Amino acid sequence: MARNKFDVDETLESPFDIRHLKRALVYCKRYRGKIFLSLFLSAAAAVVGLFAPLITQYALDVTIPKGSIKEILILGGLLLLSIVTSVLLSVRRSKIMTKVGQDIVYDIRKDLYEHLQRLSFEYYDSRPHGKILVRIINYINSVSDLMTNGLINFILEIFNLIFISIFMFFVSWRLALVIMCGLPIFAIVILIIKNKQRRAWQQVSNKSSNLNAYTHESIVGTKVTQLFTREEENSEIYDRLQNNYRKSWMRAVTFSNSVAPAVDNIAVIVRGAIYITGLLVFGTGTVSLGNIVAMCSYASRFWQPLLNLSNLMNTFINAVAYLERIFETMDEPVAVDDIEGAKEMPAIKGDVEFNNVTFAYEMGPNVLENLSFKAKAGESIALVGPTGAGKTTIVNLISRFYNLSGGEVDIDGVDISKVTLHSLRSQMGIMLQDSFIFSGTIMDNIKYGRLDATDKEAEEAAKVVGVDEFISTLPDGYYTKVNERGSGLSQGQKQLISFARTILADPKILVLDEATSSIDAKTERYLQRGIDHLLKGRTSFIIAHRLSTIRNCDKIMFISDKGIAECGNHNELMEKKGKYYDLVNSGDVG
Amino acid sequence: MFLFRWLWNNMKGYRGRYVLAMCLSVCCQSMYIITPMMSQRIVDTFITADNALEMIEQRRDLLIWMVAAMIGFTLLRTVIQYSAAMLYEVSSQGTIYRVRKKLFENINLQDASFYDLYRTGDIMTRMSGDIDWVRHSLSWIIKAVLESVVLFTASVIYFFSLDPIVAVSLLALTPVIFAVTFFLKRRVKPLYVALRERLSELNTAAEENISGNRVVKAFAREDYEIEQFDKKSKAYSEANKKAALTWLDFYPIIEITAQALLVVQLVVCGIFVINGRITAGEFTAFAGLIWTLANPMRNIGTIINDFQRFTASANKIIEIYYGKSKIADREDAVDLEGRIKGNITFKNVSFNFGKTNILHDINLEIKAGETVAIMGETGSGKTTLTELIPRIYDVDEGQVLVDGEDVRMLKLKQLRGGIGVATQDVLLYSDTIDGNIAFGNTAMSEEDVVKCAEYADADGFIRKLSEGYETIVGERGVGLSGGQKQRIALARALAVKPSILILDDTTSAVDMETEKHIQHSLENLDFPCTKIIIAQRISSTKKADKIVILKNGTIADIGTHEELISREGYYREVYELQCC
Repeated sequence: MARNKFDVDETLESPFDIRHLKRALVYCKRYRGKIFLSLFLSAAAAVVGLFAPLITQYALDVTIPKGSIKEILILGGLLLLSIVTSVLLSVRRSKIMTKVGQDIVYDIRKDLYEHLQRLSFEYYDSRPHGKILVRIINYINSVSDLMTNGLINFILEIFNLIFISIFMFFVSWRLALVIMCGLPIFAIVILIIKNKQRRAWQQVSNKSSNLNAYTHESIVGTKVTQLFTREEENSEIYDRLQNNYRKSWMRAVTFSNSVAPAVDNIAVIVRGAIYITGLLVFGTGTVSLGNIVAMCSYASRFWQPLLNLSNLMNTFINAVAYLERIFETMDEPVAVDDIEGAKEMPAIKGDVEFNNVTFAYEMGPNVLENLSFKAKAGESIALVGPTGAGKTTIVNLISRFYNLSGGEVDIDGVDISKVTLHSLRSQMGIMLQDSFIFSGTIMDNIKYGRLDATDKEAEEAAKVVGVDEFISTLPDGYYTKVNERGSGLSQGQKQLISFARTILADPKILVLDEATSSIDAKTERYLQRGIDHLLKGRTSFIIAHRLSTIRNCDKIMFISDKGIAECGNHNELMEKKGKYYDLVNSGDVG
Repeated sequence: MFLFRWLWNNMKGYRGRYVLAMCLSVCCQSMYIITPMMSQRIVDTFITADNALEMIEQRRDLLIWMVAAMIGFTLLRTVIQYSAAMLYEVSSQGTIYRVRKKLFENINLQDASFYDLYRTGDIMTRMSGDIDWVRHSLSWIIKAVLESVVLFTASVIYFFSLDPIVAVSLLALTPVIFAVTFFLKRRVKPLYVALRERLSELNTAAEENISGNRVVKAFAREDYEIEQFDKKSKAYSEANKKAALTWLDFYPIIEITAQALLVVQLVVCGIFVINGRITAGEFTAFAGLIWTLANPMRNIGTIINDFQRFTASANKIIEIYYGKSKIADREDAVDLEGRIKGNITFKNVSFNFGKTNILHDINLEIKAGETVAIMGETGSGKTTLTELIPRIYDVDEGQVLVDGEDVRMLKLKQLRGGIGVATQDVLLYSDTIDGNIAFGNTAMSEEDVVKCAEYADADGFIRKLSEGYETIVGERGVGLSGGQKQRIALARALAVKPSILILDDTTSAVDMETEKHIQHSLENLDFPCTKIIIAQRISSTKKADKIVILKNGTIADIGTHEELISREGYYREVYELQCC
């Protein structure tokens, strides 16, 4: 899949069908006991509520003509009782459904988040992060309304409708048919609106996703924006995205807002039809006057649930636009996953072997072709070569961050695609090019490498990389709060903290990808001692441009042209006078 | 009241439409009362009247006219209702457009201290969820208040005109509603503030997980991340429940009070009918209009509830809306004449980050066209020193001068526009490579983009990408190697033809050959340029006119390559380390 840009809509691959609804219902299933209880409570509340008009009617027809004030008071008491009962029942129901609705939303969010954790780099690399974020937060919040009350109200209104229809036919089937004549018109109107509306709300979700993606990028990139005085252009882009969003919103509400008026009008036309047909067409003989009055009140009772249902449909269509996106993300195939029956990787000794490995990113050209090499446990291997030759790719394949297009990577003779990712990766230590600092304390950040480490162990790790001294000068020492932007930390210091994090993980295989690029030579020399100590007994892969870092490695591999051009230790390669020799000599110092 | 004034200010351009919408919804409310009356008239005239049969026989035209009027009236009402709804939408969208625009612009103006205070996820919450509450306040809360007040007032007047005693006895219940809402307001307010915080925390947790997805995977920390997120998600869910359930504790009192109006009506009017004070017809009329009192009373609860949520969100927005950056153009800021020449002077400069001293008493003179290298240990203040020039930070003491003028006196647009920086942490946009290079100069021609890429030795690898310069790179330049990103960042910095070029460790991840090429192009740029290069490698610094060695925030040494290797010190140590 091509990379997505902030201003490009994401096409929705699966069209809407009833499955989305079914799938949403699966989440309700867990709470069906509570949902049924709520339904029962609502029905009970509705039945009790029916007493109110009866009581008033009785007062008017019987009690008042009789002139009994006492009875009036009793009726008042009964009415109050029915109101209190009905309200308490429906509040009970709302309380239950509030909890259920929130739990369902929590469940969906949990499933989505867990699925996102399993998705590979490729997923995260191919779209703006803001677009992933809105799905976890905003989209799921948007469906909560549907989950809390939508479902129950939907069922209730349907029942309501059925009851009233039966009643109507009972009173006068002729007039009932007149009322029913409105239905096809209603259905046609709703269908027309619904189709447009659905597409319109999808657009809204797309545009809000774009807007959020750009907002996110801009927040992250403020410094670059300021340095390049791009504030005005960025505002223009933002305006454009906002305008698109606003347009899509206005279009969507044009349809949504028209549902209620349409129903209102149909309802009043039907009412008029009852008067006219009842009084004029059927004539006074066929339909009694009482029936007409009754039918008029039933007609409004018939259209009220229809109106409510169409409002529910609004909520529903709106929510489905988001549900689709949520489910689409949940269905995103996990590119790199445990195979069926994957075993745990046993404790790694550290033999690494590449066997005819071929690899390409996202259907692009091959980055590596038939690459083979062996690294013995405990060896240190340096990868050198021109930028973009595939050094980072090679080390990423050892951790199985991507699937191979061909060949096999073995660790201790075990094909790594056959073991669980967790058991594999948790034994590796990878120090990435970009050092990412989570918000929290420096201590939290170091302990991310090994969650159960003690403070002392974390401090030890910091000492090994030589960042302990600096941390101690901070006002709160190891408990100084930092955030994703690493407030107040220099790039080099961030790298050192990430380094300490990796060391604390005590990995069997260590990967250092430009781990010291932002660290000055003197600090690095100090660090080197720590690293040398650290490398003992571990297999390590080191990508670096500085000779001082690579010359002491057991093996140096020169990567170019999709494979290994040269391989050997420093002295061997220097004697060979090949590419490595040229590389070392190209800079007068390394 | 401040919130409403703030809203009103942001409704500029839409105020007329909003007021019109309000008028229309008032119309609509009164029409709601009229339709049932018309319907009642038809029933009275043609069904229940004593001469109904005669009327049907003789006045068919009247019946048809009345029905037509009823339908026409409803049509008119729904048209008004629809127009009002759309006007509310237009004006609320227009308002949030303005608020969002202002927020976006303001965020782009903020200095570094802002970002130490607000996390990305937190700002995202303000720009999305909180904004939606502003929309809701305009398109629903205010409208509901207005409609309720109008309906309530109208029906109170109507009831008084029919029978003052009945009216007073019905109104006797209103104090209950006021008391309840008073307590409700006090109880839910902190709950919504808390809910808002939980949402922001949830957003932050998710945002950092996505941004840090590589680290998460590298350490196989998925389970830990799920656990952490789960806590936040649970807390948010609980906060939601707590707020909703608290509201539901108050709700029955409000609802029962509103419905109890029926009881009062039944008893009071019933007795009056028996007394002969009112007729049975009037009894029915009262009963039929009870909802016009009950509905507004019922709405008050929801209004108070939503209003508290709106307040919690609006306060968060306003914090950023009015947030002032310390680094901004002064009122008496000046523009230098013509292009910046590129003379830079640091005069007794000191800078602190929080309580930590980063730079102390720096004095440095850089002449236009010079190449100056800065070296020093990790954390010695190299990056900060260069960031004082484009005013990413302002000095705490002393002065930074560009062409003899204090940078704080210059307009930011000219100052920053004249400086090209290739930052250490390369941030690219999810845009094409072409778009990323032309970031600072969108009007630039394709040839110029290619030329800049050639300067940075990036043209070769860009052409090898599947779509060349049109290849979309992910955020943070994912999919490119470290060295490739650095070269694009360099091309981007060169694209603005800066008078001052700052390269912050820009060649650390490129190989020697590439570095040589880059050095060669930097020496042969087709525009005058002062270059400041932060580097770790001697190869990057040795040709500089001047090499500055920083140590713990002070200048430890200055000199040329030859001078510095001839004397003891950091530079010689590094030199010996790297070449021998």
